[in-house]
Amino acid sequence: MLNKSKLKKVVILGSGPIVIGQACEFDYSGTQACKALMQEGLEVILINSNPATIMTDPELATRIYIEPLQADFVAKILEKERPDAIIPTLGGQTALNLGLQLADSGILAKLGIEMLGANPDVIRAAEDREKFRSILDSVGAKYPKSEMVRTYEQGMSAADSLGFPLILRPNYTLGGGGGGVAYSMEEYQSKLAYALHESPTSEVLVEESILGWKEFELEVMRDKSGTFVVICSIENIDPCGVHTGDSITVAPQQTLSDYAYQDLRNEARKIIDAVGVETGGANIQFAVHPTTGERLVIEMNPRVSRSSALASKATGFPIAKIAALLAIGYKLDGLLNDITKTTPSCYEPALDYVVTKIPRFAFEKFPGTRDYLTTQMRSVGEVMGIGRTFKESLQKAVLSLEENARGLTEVTLDEGLIATPNSKRLYHIVQAFREGWSLDQVHQLTQITPWFLEQIKELPDFEQELREDYSKNSTLTYNSLLKAKRLGFSDSAIATVINGSAKDVEKIRQQLKIRPSYLQVDTCAGEFASQTPYYYSTYWSSSPQKNHSLPHSVVLLGSGPNRIGQGVEFDYSCVRSVRQFQKLGYKVAMVNSNPETVSTDYDTSDCLFFEPLTYEHISEIIQLIQPEGYVAQLGGQTPINLAAKLSDSGFNLLGSSLNTIDLAEDRAQFAKICHELDFKMPRAAMATSLEDGLNISAEIGFPLICRPSYVLGGRRMEIVEDEEELRQYFARHGSVITPKSPCLMDQFLERALEVDVDLVRGPDWLVIGGVMEHIEAAGVHSGDSMGVVPPQRLRPEILAKIEDLSSRLAHRLGVLGFLNLQLAVQQDQIYMLEANPRSSRSVPFISKATSIPIVDLGVKAIVGLNAAQVHPERYDWKNLVGVNVKGVVFPFKKFPDADSILGPEMKSTGESMGRGSSYEEAILKAFLSSHYTFPSSGEVFLSLRENDKQVLLPSIKELSSLGYTFSATNGTAKFLLSQSIDCEVIKKVHEGRPNCVDRIRSGEIAFVINTTSGRTSIEASAGIRRSCVDFSIPCLTESDAVEAFVLALKSFRAGHFEVSPLPKLL
Amino acid sequence: MTNNSYLVLENGTLFPGVQNCGQDRAGEVVFNTGHSGYEEMATDPSYFKQILVMTAPMQGNYGVEGQVWESRKIWIEGFICLEIQKSQRDRSWIDLLEKNKIPILSEVDTRTLVLQLRDLGTCWGAIVTSSSPEAAKSKAFQLIKKSQQEEKDWVFCVSRNHVEEVKGRNPQGPKIAVLDFGCKENTLRHLLERCSSICVFPSRTSAQEIQAWKPDGLLLSNGPGDPEQVIKATDTVRSLIGTLPIFGICMGHQILALALGAKTYKLKYGHRGGNHPINDTLLKRVYVTSQNHGYAVDRQSLPTGTEVTHTNLNDGTVSGLANFNQLCFSVQFHPESRPGPHDAESLFDYFINYVKQFINKN
Repeated sequence: MLNKSKLKKVVILGSGPIVIGQACEFDYSGTQACKALMQEGLEVILINSNPATIMTDPELATRIYIEPLQADFVAKILEKERPDAIIPTLGGQTALNLGLQLADSGILAKLGIEMLGANPDVIRAAEDREKFRSILDSVGAKYPKSEMVRTYEQGMSAADSLGFPLILRPNYTLGGGGGGVAYSMEEYQSKLAYALHESPTSEVLVEESILGWKEFELEVMRDKSGTFVVICSIENIDPCGVHTGDSITVAPQQTLSDYAYQDLRNEARKIIDAVGVETGGANIQFAVHPTTGERLVIEMNPRVSRSSALASKATGFPIAKIAALLAIGYKLDGLLNDITKTTPSCYEPALDYVVTKIPRFAFEKFPGTRDYLTTQMRSVGEVMGIGRTFKESLQKAVLSLEENARGLTEVTLDEGLIATPNSKRLYHIVQAFREGWSLDQVHQLTQITPWFLEQIKELPDFEQELREDYSKNSTLTYNSLLKAKRLGFSDSAIATVINGSAKDVEKIRQQLKIRPSYLQVDTCAGEFASQTPYYYSTYWSSSPQKNHSLPHSVVLLGSGPNRIGQGVEFDYSCVRSVRQFQKLGYKVAMVNSNPETVSTDYDTSDCLFFEPLTYEHISEIIQLIQPEGYVAQLGGQTPINLAAKLSDSGFNLLGSSLNTIDLAEDRAQFAKICHELDFKMPRAAMATSLEDGLNISAEIGFPLICRPSYVLGGRRMEIVEDEEELRQYFARHGSVITPKSPCLMDQFLERALEVDVDLVRGPDWLVIGGVMEHIEAAGVHSGDSMGVVPPQRLRPEILAKIEDLSSRLAHRLGVLGFLNLQLAVQQDQIYMLEANPRSSRSVPFISKATSIPIVDLGVKAIVGLNAAQVHPERYDWKNLVGVNVKGVVFPFKKFPDADSILGPEMKSTGESMGRGSSYEEAILKAFLSSHYTFPSSGEVFLSLRENDKQVLLPSIKELSSLGYTFSATNGTAKFLLSQSIDCEVIKKVHEGRPNCVDRIRSGEIAFVINTTSGRTSIEASAGIRRSCVDFSIPCLTESDAVEAFVLALKSFRAGHFEVSPLPKLL
Repeated sequence: MTNNSYLVLENGTLFPGVQNCGQDRAGEVVFNTGHSGYEEMATDPSYFKQILVMTAPMQGNYGVEGQVWESRKIWIEGFICLEIQKSQRDRSWIDLLEKNKIPILSEVDTRTLVLQLRDLGTCWGAIVTSSSPEAAKSKAFQLIKKSQQEEKDWVFCVSRNHVEEVKGRNPQGPKIAVLDFGCKENTLRHLLERCSSICVFPSRTSAQEIQAWKPDGLLLSNGPGDPEQVIKATDTVRSLIGTLPIFGICMGHQILALALGAKTYKLKYGHRGGNHPINDTLLKRVYVTSQNHGYAVDRQSLPTGTEVTHTNLNDGTVSGLANFNQLCFSVQFHPESRPGPHDAESLFDYFINYVKQFINKN
């Protein structure tokens, strides 16, 4: 039975920084696993380099190592900890590959460590495409015709025999990385070369196209005695050709007969048995031909995956938790169903609702990249909508995207956007139906299963019906309003259709007593009683609403779908805060729409509402449970933006008041306060037109930072160097600059040192959580710059002044709870850049660096505890030991046409943490965890802007003394030669060939230093940076980053590093 | 399509809905948690006299296929769900039920209905269209009363009324007799694949008649209703026990238990769905099964020599039993599936092997 007696200590591998294709769903899985195994009384050792996660919260495991997920570091930890076993199946592809590496290195055998969940043979059987195909053959399963290609020449002959279009799938990559669809020979040639490079084993499966086939996924579990269950079936609305992570998907599957579905299920079982997955979760993707029903296997993952998170939230079955328990020897029939608490886990959930997942994209962040979906995943987050019908769930999911409150709004119809998959396709399909297109027309262009199109078409059809009904009766009738709500239309959407206001629709709806009911996600379609408070709203229930009021509770607003600028960090704050609220005696009702998160686990809070974060949905929940108030400080900007409307409706905002939020967010009021407090601010003004802007620039002077108001994560924010660029800026962004939302123009503080301050203020106390110094100078978005705690360059008296000013500002604003400040220091002057009256992106990192429980303190402040209860004197962040560096991870590889230069617009998806006894050690670890490589010798290519040449000279000399050689563009080379540094001159791109890009692409360059500014030079040098991204060559674009990199390089060459567990919070 | 339509439960509770087709009808109201397979369910004779409530909200999505029918007609008295496909493109599921005068009531709050059936236990009800709720109630009560007064031996109502012999596809296979209590086609398909011939007998066939065909083994099929109301079958089985291998499925399992001297009882709201976990000590496996039954065998009443071989892991009820001294075993669930998972199919092989061993021994 259970080998628990043998097992005392287990290592869990996490998945590292958030990247596209591997996001916070692995925080969900790791957190569930840690909790489950801790509860079993095991010592749990967690290794993960991502500080923004819940799972790296010191209380979640016995010991947590925030260290690079690399074999040598992990080996050191294993030597130190001597665990009995290691689980590589919960941390995505990263952990699986790492597990394989550790097994191959022999360290597991040497230390007698057992691999649980999957052994190396299983991993290879599922991940190695040739092995996997032979397994499919052995069970009689079919798969697309394909050839494994190892050389370019082989690839050419494969194309001849398979014909176009072709799908490229590199071996052992993540989220379809390096893969794609090629429609022509020309496209194929460039994609093949790239794919071969991207596969760590230089193997690419070139596959016949199954574009247009229906795509399904089964989430399955198996225990060691062979018991097999399907947790969830998922059907993709987008047919084959779009990565499943980028597809709109529906659970359970809707369009297969039982006969066809059971065939999938049988085949899945045979494959799992043959691959040898002994214990845990896995998923298998199938393609089914829309007319013949022919079935092909696309791929399988022998581990917990992104879709496991979705399946868990969709069904209530905690896949990761059960997978962890199966790994240590439990059997499915020996574990209780967590939701019903009476039935066992060896069942298949029955759903009496429909779930729709919609991915969230960030194409707007990467100018130049075409919004076009293919087999390589590009989405940065996802939402899930639960409804009783597909239509209700689809519209709830659309609302959850937080793009607008009206849902599937009208767009200017573009046939091209229907014909090719892209992030806006759903909107254009709906618009096409609005404009009278037939189902056949849309089906011809999209190959989407007619059932889905028919369902979607009902929505615009109903809009017409509603419009007619309204004009006939000149009011909203009970029947039509109820029907609208049952179809998932929001009050705002209904208002748009009838040209009214959302407020009026809400009023009429309440008068007519059309209110949502809250139904339970109970895994069993109501067959068994379940006490687990996991709810979704629907207008399809007739039963009188049960009394759901939750005494002494708070409604906690989550952060919605992950996007660039608002990700797992905010989920960390939410989840951590729940525990603190509970400790203080409150019950917490969580509202969130993101299926990847820990916050949407039903056992995180006292009551979970899986709902869109819109005024309408939250207001209904607050009226339902009658809390003491709602909390808007923890979920990032999403809840802050909702606060005004919610408070206008009389709901009680806990913590900082609406007035405080306004003071911080309204730039005019905020500037006045800063002035009062002697805080300097960059000179700033607002322009509503180009003329305005030109006048202002004369006053403020160049360089300027321009951005439209009300933006998140610095969208459309640019540094403007001169008048010509200002004209260009208005030309590009003029459409969003209006008198109502003017363009903000700020003085740009060149070479200023930027810092983040996170603090908490209570009624009569204040605690500074920490001050993080940015490594890159002001001008790089704070989310994209590396950072260090404690600051390394700030002088102590400036730091003291920063703390003092920050505290005074918090008092003046009347903050109750969190305050995040972004400051710049230039020539000992402290400038205020931005204040966020909420928990921030940097809170989890700073908290882990300084051991100050910032979130806990924030909750105490929000509920109004005083100094005597909180003992603020206990928390001095400066007592921290060692140095902590925040590293950053970018998704440029997934956006082949995007420029990787850093600027005021945030582009990173994730962060890492390097901890060390010295700055050098910490920074090395941060770089390593952010997937940088350190070439120990070779040629460094340089192209520097004038201002940086002197600044970088010491670093270049350092590199020279380490034995690196140099090549550079003409100007830079001249400078180096004038400093007696040997250097080869290489042509710039426009100077002819061979040029620097050819040189980089030839593989002769170890790394690149390329600093530039001004739009023209930035555009001219984009090719340099792009080739570095494509070939995974480090490319440093900021002088401060170069210094840091050289420091890390030296420390890497020295080769000394230690590993240590994270200290507990104070 | 009518808007003043209701499901009326015998306790007077009304569930409004939209009646898409068919006549007013009464039946036992039961719910099935299976996600797909409406066509198989509707043609399964075990749903005789029952109004089927689907917990999965969207029905009719993939139309009808015909070749998946589990018998030669549609047996349900009504079909209830939240949303039914009734588009121009495909309304074949509605059309099929309409042709058979079976009412479909959609837009019903099935979740509340299921919770109520779970709390009340299985009860009778009727789908009616009427001008007022009160009129609906009285109409429904009449229909329910009338239906309840009809023949109690439901098995007899659905069983074949003549003997049917069919040649199997395995000339080396045994000859298996089937006592038809409302046998699903897929059980016969499984047998035909493994047997040289099968012969299906009406439920009230005598033991002698069956023996006259000289079968190598006997399969007792599934069927509707209360096993204690089934006339003659228990006696027939009792006199055959010990003379040849017997395998019972669902109703067949209950009849076998009664013949062995055990008792059956009515479950509060039955087991209907495709996700019921079973611990099978014969095959030594835990797997998920398709189930459809309202009655169960009382564990305490099992005579010595009869052991429980299968247990429903959801509620611990008896899901299979065996008395190999008497050459018989049976399961409460549906190894033939359709709809539902195929995980228990190998029980047919187990049975055929058991029959072959018996032949070899003699």
